[in-house]
Amino acid sequence: MKYKVKTRKSPGRETVEVLGETFEQGKPEDKDMGRWRQKLGSRGDRLKYLETGERYWFGKEWYGSEKRKIPA
Amino acid sequence: MAEKEAKSIDQATLEMLEKAAQDGARVVFERAETTRPCPIGADGMCCSLCAMGPCRVQPPKGKEETLEERRKRVGVCGATPETISARNFVRKAAAGTASHGDHGRVMAKFFLAVAKGEAPGYEIKDEQKLLQLALDLGVTIGDRSNEEVAIDIANLLVKEFGKQEGELLFLKRAPLKRQELWRKQGVAPRGIDIEVAESMHRTHMGTDQDYQDLLKNAVKVSLADGWGGSMIATEVQDIIFGTPAPLLSQINLGVLKDDEVNIIIHGHEPQLAEMMAVAAQSPDMIAYAKSKGAKGINLAGMCCTANEMLMRHGVPIAGNFLQQELAIVTGALEAMVVDVQCIMQGLVDTARCYHTKVITTDPRAKIQGATHMEFHEHEALESAKAIIKMAVDNFVNRGKNVRIPKQKTDMIAGFSHETINYLLGGLFRASYRPLNDNIINGRIRGVAAVVGCNNPRVTHDSGNLAMVKELIKNDVLVLQTGCMAMASAKAGLMLPEAAVQFAGDGLASVCEAVGIPPVLHMGACIDNSRILMSATAMVKDGGLGDDISDLPVAAAAPEWMSEKAITIGQYAVASGIFTVFGVNWPTIGSKEVTDFMFKDFEEIYGGMWAFEPDPVKAAHLMIAHIDKKRKALGIDKARERVLYDMAMRRELV
Ligand code: SF4
Repeated sequence: MKYKVKTRKSPGRETVEVLGETFEQGKPEDKDMGRWRQKLGSRGDRLKYLETGERYWFGKEWYGSEKRKIPA
Repeated sequence: MAEKEAKSIDQATLEMLEKAAQDGARVVFERAETTRPCPIGADGMCCSLCAMGPCRVQPPKGKEETLEERRKRVGVCGATPETISARNFVRKAAAGTASHGDHGRVMAKFFLAVAKGEAPGYEIKDEQKLLQLALDLGVTIGDRSNEEVAIDIANLLVKEFGKQEGELLFLKRAPLKRQELWRKQGVAPRGIDIEVAESMHRTHMGTDQDYQDLLKNAVKVSLADGWGGSMIATEVQDIIFGTPAPLLSQINLGVLKDDEVNIIIHGHEPQLAEMMAVAAQSPDMIAYAKSKGAKGINLAGMCCTANEMLMRHGVPIAGNFLQQELAIVTGALEAMVVDVQCIMQGLVDTARCYHTKVITTDPRAKIQGATHMEFHEHEALESAKAIIKMAVDNFVNRGKNVRIPKQKTDMIAGFSHETINYLLGGLFRASYRPLNDNIINGRIRGVAAVVGCNNPRVTHDSGNLAMVKELIKNDVLVLQTGCMAMASAKAGLMLPEAAVQFAGDGLASVCEAVGIPPVLHMGACIDNSRILMSATAMVKDGGLGDDISDLPVAAAAPEWMSEKAITIGQYAVASGIFTVFGVNWPTIGSKEVTDFMFKDFEEIYGGMWAFEPDPVKAAHLMIAHIDKKRKALGIDKARERVLYDMAMRRELV
């Protein structure tokens, strides 16, 4: 892949060259693009995902910023 | 033309306005010119609660008021301008909660019918979301079937509407500190309907006459929408129709087709639209359309039904709120099928100039002059096919006066908060951490929700576009719902390449790494509840404080018009989010009430209101608030970073 280079202003200096965007323009053709929830096949997978992916609400050991508090 | 340009920045809209004028069709833009807003009502200074009035209590223009004059400026009952202003505001908030609540109630009861197998053609599409709700609500999962679990969930959700005491169940989803604050302030809603009913009682003549107490009630009734009616509607719809995930579609009047039967579904509740999508693809309906000389059936959406259909099926959007009559003006629309909310009665008058049939489908929303074909969910497919058949029959009546604007823009939609979580971290490490990290390191300055309606009192779509562009230019990630999401989509802001074109370097680099546009479509207006969940996930992930009010986030509705928008804004504020409205501000006639909401609310709720009709200045207010929060979190220095070029990187090694 050929990388694009762009010129940008930088604080305290004149202009610098930085790497431009690397994604390809255009439309994704795959109609299943984005259908990520279908990857979880069984109820067990789904419950596991909830515990890890949605741990903010369902993780047994996760309270994040609220770790010092009693879980809701 | 210059005058027309001021009405909209959207070329398709301008073209159809010209056609409407040529055809003698009246549309909202013209009515807005002939019917000017009442200045006393606009400022919230008119009370019509009893037959001793209506009483107008507007302050004198251009002169100081003496204390005596101020004392006399009251209604016949003695109600002060503050009481009148606050009462008017509470009633608007209650109407918004009632509307979203009624939508939520219909969906919860529909969900129960689906679970019991009483709504043929519908099923539980998203087991993941079902399980999520079961965990949330403490419903036993075990080896029970999805339907058994769903019946328990549905019964609990239906009860939320009529609950008389305790607290709404979804309040527990909010950050712990926020829950404590609501309880301490006495604004945690008990149920949904009870808060609406109490609001109507409190604001009845001669009841609650303390503006601060009234505004507390506005908070409570609005929270019953955001963390109640709207959230229930969103979650139930996800279970039955699927949680949105990214997909590609198109938007603007150019999605109508000149050789197919065009049908627009307009309104808010998706159960009919879902079945219309199925029926429109059925071979018998397509064959029937062909027998009438059409090449097929083209379904498109408008307003929030459009968002629902777009996010789950990629059904294209014909336009936002102010374009509803213009779709008829194309002369190519066989049927405008409507249900509830944001349906202009003017549709029927516009349709008189063309062949379009305006079809109402909901028993709660009939329109004089429209054809009523009631939708029954227990025979949904038959209902949907009957409506489509009527549209197909109307194809032969299409005249020669057809002009479909060519404008249509690609867009990506479907960013539910679950999908954002997944996109940021992947299936095995789904997380808001990358978002929080990029906020902390300053690549992303903050997050803004720009939501709400269109309003012909301001140039169509322009407030949104100016605001959103200013925000993303300043590295603020923008989340959108409703008609404002559509305005950005029409301008191409909902494509990944928009990041390079319009976003600041920091935001663009993150968008590129994750593969998302700088402006994320999160759904319909009820789906502002998804934004509450995203904000909560950001808090819970850590590093950005321990309440939503600590986050570098802000919200806005630059072109709002409906009571629902007031409610949404109020629950955002009550959830700790600084919220700016454009167009006008309904309590502006009362300095006391306005100051209380714009200043004192911050002390009480951590979030407050602001009014700024200039969208760029409003964006600057939001950015200033974001920067204030960054400073409070101690992450303001991170943004003052140097951009490293290749030579500097080499020096570092
Ligand atoms: S309630 Fe009071 S202020 Fe309102 S219309 Fe009646 S008399 Fe006038």
